[in-house]
Amino acid sequence: MRYESITEAIGNTPLVRIDPAVHGLRHIDLYAKLELLNPFGSVKDRAAWNMARPGLAAAAEHGSQVVELSSGNTAKALAVIAGMHGLPFKSVTNRMRIPEIKDLLLLLGADIEELPGQSECLDPTNTEDPLTLFHRELSEPGSSYLHTDQYFNPRNTEAHATGTGPEIVKDLDGRAPDWFVACVGTAGSSTGVARVLREHDPRVQVVGLVAAKSDFIPGIRTLDEVHEVGLFDPATYDTVESVTSDEAIEGMLTLARRCGILAGPTGGAAYFGTVRHLRSLEARLTEDQQTDPGVRRSAVFIVCDRIESYLSYTRRRRPDLFRLPPRRNDPADLTDAEVAAAPAVDTPDAQKWIERDRPLVVDLRSPFAYAALHIEGAINIVDELFDELVRGGLPFSTRQPVLLVCPVGEQSARYAALLTRMGHPDVRSLTGGVIAWRDAGAPLVRD
Amino acid sequence: MPSSPEPLSLEPRLDVRLASLLGAGDFLPSLVDALGSPLNVLLPDQIAENAARFRAAYGTHRLGGQVYFAHKANRSSALLRRLAATDAAVDVASLGELQHALGAGFVPDRIMATGPKNREFLWLAARTGVTVHADSAGELDELAALVRAHQLARIRVLVRLSAFDGPGVKVLTRPSRFGTPAGELDPLLKTVERHADVLELTGVGYHLDTTSAEEKARALEGCVRALDVCRGRGLRPRAVDIGGGFGVNYLAHAAQWERYTSELTAAVLGHRPPLTWRGHGYGLRNDAGTLRGALGLYPAHRPVAGARYLDELLALPAASFGGRSLATLLLENLYDLYTEPGRALVDQCGLVLARVLEVRRTDGGEPLVRLAMKADDAGLEEHGVLMDPVLLGRDGTRAVAGDGPAAGVYLAGSLCLEADLITRRMVFLPRLPRPGELLAFVNTAGYCMDFQTSRAQHQPVARKVAAWQEDGSWRWCLDEQYWPITRPGGEP
Repeated sequence: MRYESITEAIGNTPLVRIDPAVHGLRHIDLYAKLELLNPFGSVKDRAAWNMARPGLAAAAEHGSQVVELSSGNTAKALAVIAGMHGLPFKSVTNRMRIPEIKDLLLLLGADIEELPGQSECLDPTNTEDPLTLFHRELSEPGSSYLHTDQYFNPRNTEAHATGTGPEIVKDLDGRAPDWFVACVGTAGSSTGVARVLREHDPRVQVVGLVAAKSDFIPGIRTLDEVHEVGLFDPATYDTVESVTSDEAIEGMLTLARRCGILAGPTGGAAYFGTVRHLRSLEARLTEDQQTDPGVRRSAVFIVCDRIESYLSYTRRRRPDLFRLPPRRNDPADLTDAEVAAAPAVDTPDAQKWIERDRPLVVDLRSPFAYAALHIEGAINIVDELFDELVRGGLPFSTRQPVLLVCPVGEQSARYAALLTRMGHPDVRSLTGGVIAWRDAGAPLVRD
Repeated sequence: MPSSPEPLSLEPRLDVRLASLLGAGDFLPSLVDALGSPLNVLLPDQIAENAARFRAAYGTHRLGGQVYFAHKANRSSALLRRLAATDAAVDVASLGELQHALGAGFVPDRIMATGPKNREFLWLAARTGVTVHADSAGELDELAALVRAHQLARIRVLVRLSAFDGPGVKVLTRPSRFGTPAGELDPLLKTVERHADVLELTGVGYHLDTTSAEEKARALEGCVRALDVCRGRGLRPRAVDIGGGFGVNYLAHAAQWERYTSELTAAVLGHRPPLTWRGHGYGLRNDAGTLRGALGLYPAHRPVAGARYLDELLALPAASFGGRSLATLLLENLYDLYTEPGRALVDQCGLVLARVLEVRRTDGGEPLVRLAMKADDAGLEEHGVLMDPVLLGRDGTRAVAGDGPAAGVYLAGSLCLEADLITRRMVFLPRLPRPGELLAFVNTAGYCMDFQTSRAQHQPVARKVAAWQEDGSWRWCLDEQYWPITRPGGEP
């Protein structure tokens, strides 16, 4: 396999059989179409390339910016394609809730503009939603944009009607599967693939999966939101079912841990939704088997993208999956009594103590706050760093007295208790913290 | 017959006090008999409880500062006087509101003047020594001139900023006509410094019309950066005012809201019969089978609202300050937090009662209920708040599911105008109402009760009463007669 350009590596993704021991379906061969193996990491590579390609030469000539309303994978692919052709790329969205993807887009050089949230005070005279304004900006005279318009562009669907769909038929030895299951985002892949499969065999059942309302699965729309998509046609789907984010993560774990397929939550949702749908049909298939033994059915679902971008998404929903080993010298292990007994000193006494014994004053606040105002002579070790330091042992000599300072004297009391437990003979917490220090009229400096 | 085969109810959320009031037998009907329809009933004890919840959210994050009730949300004296007996404060947006707050017992330390201001308003603010939240450099100039001309004491000011820029992605915040762009901080501070003899800058603030906590977080970070610039120039500000917009959860069940909005979408697309008067789409429209526009409704079911929204906002990471929480950012930099909740502070604080005058059917066969009130007496439609009213029988018994066949009805007002519908949505009641019965629009104290109300066509404006519980029963007095000390067991 030798290519002239990375874009030639788009498509021709593998169709991999899922081990029946994993899904437990007795009469159906289940296949995953591994769109995660596209070069930029997702099924959107196909649509992005197909939509952008015809306009690239003209865009390069006019120095146009490539723009798209995208929260993730389409933006990722377009950012790469735009970059390869020397064009800037801008993604406009209010749905970009995956921090890793946002960071990756910035890394790729994309501009991101976030649409404002819903209005709190309703303004009945305001008839223009942000999307209308976006479209108006695109069509202003003199503006120079290559707008790929994925929710309405027929070349989105076409990428799958000429690529994804025929590949599935070819890999099933010229046959369409009995079921095709796809999550609905722009509806491009499901519509394009469904069209091709039905041309081969009108009996193919198409299942569209959407996110449960008020739930969030990246790249999938909810039942209401799909109606905002120009490419969405209810007639494409024999049935539309919803999946929750918990189920998507469950499916994702099964694919990753048991099948070696490092799919993201969208692929997980597709797997979960597929198996749930097909399991409900098993009884009928068992009857068919009795009249026509040996008949096997097949189903294909799409694995849209990869797991790596969704670690924080998953951590937020399933913290149990990210268990951490027990830590040494953890302030969380202190009892309330230990914290209450922590050596402390109030502002007037602290001022005298500093004058007399010159304790090391450690300010646990952030560098920004420390730089703004602090006790003269204090050093700044931000609490997160201090946490790391004490895990390895005492960070100062036991002969050096220490005054710990935080905003209100709570954190400093915990650390004073911890350091005392670790064997420091003279560590004290500033009672009431730097706020009490200020309120007592004691000096703070900014240097 | 109702065009909906099954009721698409939007049951209002009722906390203990409001629920108890609605279950108080003939208490409410006798009030309407005496004082007429429509009638506004307010629960002053609830606002004190709500203020305490906000204060608790401050406590969770160890933050000091002040909770300012945005007075414009409701004109009631009882609410204001009850609040004056707590440790909360008030923000006033007009001369009349300032006079009201002073008269209700708020000392100037607990009042902030905000919003667009005329000279009289500015003068009384400066005269009495309340804090002025200034919108622009021009307003600071005007205030300084007043203070000098009348030889008044130096006055505390906050400045309102807008259009915050931050690192990372650009956020397209809805443009506001209020505040000074954060990028023009330098000329603004030059104005403050020029008037240093008469103006003392005590903080900066923002007010964003959005439900997005991320947008507010960015603005808050921008305020902290601006305050640091102030400190660098030798000013000594100590507060960030994050305004209001904490929201109210109006509905009892998330599932009803989700189902209703889905069905509304289907109705707009023509997949089901209309749910609204003449197929009104609340901002949605059908564009060749594709849904266009945006739903112009208040997000009536909000799992996180009020003090909990504040709590979650304060716990968000301050992205441009290394990801420590916003509360930590404020705390570490020794800043007080000011909030200006309006709607959220009067959540569950009152209801609007209206008498049913007539029940008939429209040409289309739908029940039309005419009420002794106008649409502006309960501005639910104006503020995009959708919820069903509660039906009270003549003896005050609350109608419940099973009392009869559920009824989808349209509610018409008493004005001689086609447009005078209390709500354009078909509302669902446990049974068809009868003339003489009452409909209670609950939880209307925030903006919906008297914000829009008018005397059009010489129709009466609703009287206001305050109600409270004492020894297990409900007591009341006229709103203007209420003082917290008149209640045995009240705060000293």
